[in-house]
Amino acid sequence: MPEFKVSNWEKEMEVYGYDTVVKSHCRMCHGGCGVLVYLKDGRIEKIAGDPDCPINHGTLCSKGIAATQLVYHPDRLTHPVRRIGPKGSGKWERISWDEALDTIAERILDYKDRFGAESVVLGYGTGRENEAVIYRFANLLGTPNVLTAGHFCYGPRIATTIITCGTNPIVDYANHPKCIMVWGNNVVISNPDCYKGEPFSQALDAGAKLIAVDPRLTRIAARADVWLPLRPGTDTALALGMAHVIVHEELYDRDFVEEHVHGWEPFVERINEYPLERVEEITWVPREKIQEAARLFATTKPAAIQWGVAIEQQVNCADNNRALLALMGITGNIDAKGGQVLFKPPRMVNVGRFGAHDMLPPEQAEKRLGGERFRLAGNFAIINPKCVWDAVLEEAPYPVKMLFFISSNPLMTRGNAKEVYRALKAVDFMAVSDFFLTPTAELADIVLPAATWLEMDYIADFWKRHGYIFPRRKAVQIGECRSDHEMLNDLAHRVGQEAFWWDTFEGGLDFILKPLGITWQEFKGMDHIRGEVQYRKYEERGFSTPTGRFELYSTLLEQWGYDPLPQYREAPESPVSTPELHKAYPYILITGRRIPGFFHTENRQLPWLRELHPDPVVEIHPEAAEKEGIREGDWVVIESPRGRVRQRAKLFEGMDPRIVSAEHAWWFPEKADPGHGWEESNINILTSNAYEHCDPAMGATHVRTLLCRICPETAETGEGP
Amino acid sequence: MKPYELVIDHASCWGCRTCEVACKQENRDPAGITRIQVLEEGPEIRNGEPHFLYHVRVCRHCDEPPCAEACPEEAITKREDGLVLLDPETCIACGLCVDACPYGAVVVDPEREAACKCDLCFERVDHGLVPACADNVCPGHCIYFGDPGAIQREITEKHARRSRAGEGP
Repeated sequence: MPEFKVSNWEKEMEVYGYDTVVKSHCRMCHGGCGVLVYLKDGRIEKIAGDPDCPINHGTLCSKGIAATQLVYHPDRLTHPVRRIGPKGSGKWERISWDEALDTIAERILDYKDRFGAESVVLGYGTGRENEAVIYRFANLLGTPNVLTAGHFCYGPRIATTIITCGTNPIVDYANHPKCIMVWGNNVVISNPDCYKGEPFSQALDAGAKLIAVDPRLTRIAARADVWLPLRPGTDTALALGMAHVIVHEELYDRDFVEEHVHGWEPFVERINEYPLERVEEITWVPREKIQEAARLFATTKPAAIQWGVAIEQQVNCADNNRALLALMGITGNIDAKGGQVLFKPPRMVNVGRFGAHDMLPPEQAEKRLGGERFRLAGNFAIINPKCVWDAVLEEAPYPVKMLFFISSNPLMTRGNAKEVYRALKAVDFMAVSDFFLTPTAELADIVLPAATWLEMDYIADFWKRHGYIFPRRKAVQIGECRSDHEMLNDLAHRVGQEAFWWDTFEGGLDFILKPLGITWQEFKGMDHIRGEVQYRKYEERGFSTPTGRFELYSTLLEQWGYDPLPQYREAPESPVSTPELHKAYPYILITGRRIPGFFHTENRQLPWLRELHPDPVVEIHPEAAEKEGIREGDWVVIESPRGRVRQRAKLFEGMDPRIVSAEHAWWFPEKADPGHGWEESNINILTSNAYEHCDPAMGATHVRTLLCRICPETAETGEGP
Repeated sequence: MKPYELVIDHASCWGCRTCEVACKQENRDPAGITRIQVLEEGPEIRNGEPHFLYHVRVCRHCDEPPCAEACPEEAITKREDGLVLLDPETCIACGLCVDACPYGAVVVDPEREAACKCDLCFERVDHGLVPACADNVCPGHCIYFGDPGAIQREITEKHARRSRAGEGP
């Protein structure tokens, strides 16, 4: 019998006759997984996981495998285009890179001259490892306005962890936590930052206890020792209730609290406002369950919290994070081996320095849109999207004349999509860099063809917090596509920034690596580099916070005029806060649960992935479905006070019948009209982006929990079943 | 005992469906034709306890395959090593095997006018390569290929190490 070995790349090459295998690093989500890219005659034939990568250990997800279909997709834009009809007419003509970049450069310089650099807004969506280069360009241009998902995705983790304990504590999966609390995150399906689902699975296989906090019964929740199905949006109350148990049952780490925590007494006073009777009433979770989870989490060492974006896309964004940080801190799991570690990156030019934040003149930084209103965000160079739409539509506090979106589809992914549409339609000039003519790109003046991760050299996971960097090696060239890094490096030369850039972007990679004493060409020959791993660094050095301590009580939030302690706020729309509205919109709508194969708005063109999930799906409990006359598979109308969309019903028993769960980011690339159905199923038609609905410190748009009604489409059209 | 088998630890499946796409990458089947498929069981509340499980549906390469028995053209045969293979050239797409399979693991591909099912990537196996879905793809490590006895022991030990050892089917 032959000897069978997994990830046997040598044999794979021999059997299939591949010419080459390129080791690279996937970026179908934020990046993270090492891959082997097999080529024949210069064409990618197969993608598999790299067994040597410490993040995925040779495994991969559906998105990574299907990247071949992204690279060679017939609808990909492979050269720059200029719009020749009215906005949204879908009429384009091919232009050269020189013409495209000269036009964009001219516009930038003209607006800067006439309205100030702040009138030019650059933007990216979720993290696609082009963040640092976009910030560098913006800061050197002098605009403080880079519109990202950072107000409600990962940015809050960075901001709240920096002010609390100096950096983002990452679950130390490699050292097998003994207890993992998964909080509003589907780490095995979604696209978590830093570590991925595979090391999480391994930790469970090594015997870790599991606590799941999720309104929906996921497989993780079903496997958990304790599942806490909370009322959507009540995370802070639940976390503070758990803290209440841990403090009053004296399950906290006394030494850590005494030696290393700032603000213990006021923190205890604050959690005393959250006795379990109250928390049960707020969260719908029985107090016994809260106790059980709190005890399990506090008494099993080391323990860690796997968190994610869901808790950040809420009015309680910063306080959700801060309350969970408090749980990590008071149990002594911060910077503990197998707990939650403040990993050090390799000694390179870090993301912040590369991003040239110190080159933005202070008088320009002061002009950051929404900086006065959302001061936690403002201090981390993050802006709230509505501030940009207002500046476009109302020219207040000053006009925004140009938008330049790089790997972003805000029409689908930002709150109040109708307002986003009005702003994109109205703006004087818009450029986009993307793979396809997305609904956002269709409203642009110039669209640039972006390279995928398989078409670029880059230092992957440069901005991650697990301490690793990996070489992402170019495997192929498609048409005239260029990486965002090469594109901005070129554009920078056309707007007078040449002193700070390089002949080609390889120079930028060398610049980042220089303190390590290596060049990109040398790094390309390596598997990865990791920063020095040390635990409990605070024992010698304290924490990088103003007090040098773990700040349960944030001195910076206090200084910026906010409550220094986490507090629970009721959602802007809920059975509790808006009982009248609740009569007309009787369901709690949660949005954005993760689906295998898709990454926000991406991948609906890729046959292998679309096949997994052809239609947008809204989950409704069978009891509620019966009441509303909805059957499995029906197209239904979901409506909020702001609008209505259609998705297909799936009867789902794994949540409270008062909850309805819809998907986000749906558009239909197969629809030929230039709108590509952006309005049909886009859940952000229903969400609000009102300032008073946003997190007061972070400016996070509250898109995850609102009120809705739902009915079969046939009930509206009058057609019988 | 077969020398090697595909063994699935359903309790470890997260429903990520990577195996389905790995199969597509290998076999290039058209949309709608799936040789391996992840199915949901639940979610529901069973005896007051939350229950939600995934099942990976794929040809079991039965000892006495009913699909082969049902086939009027003898297009389905069993190899000495236990692999049940379907010859698309001989197949007339009558669909009797689809009805005969108790696992729902056979489909008819109307374009190719032939039935289609998992062939355990026999060409890979014959060259000493692991079937595509089992080749270190699954982030939950739930698809195994090799000696079934040894794999079953490994799975049992893995489940015993877990916090909720009895959890799952």
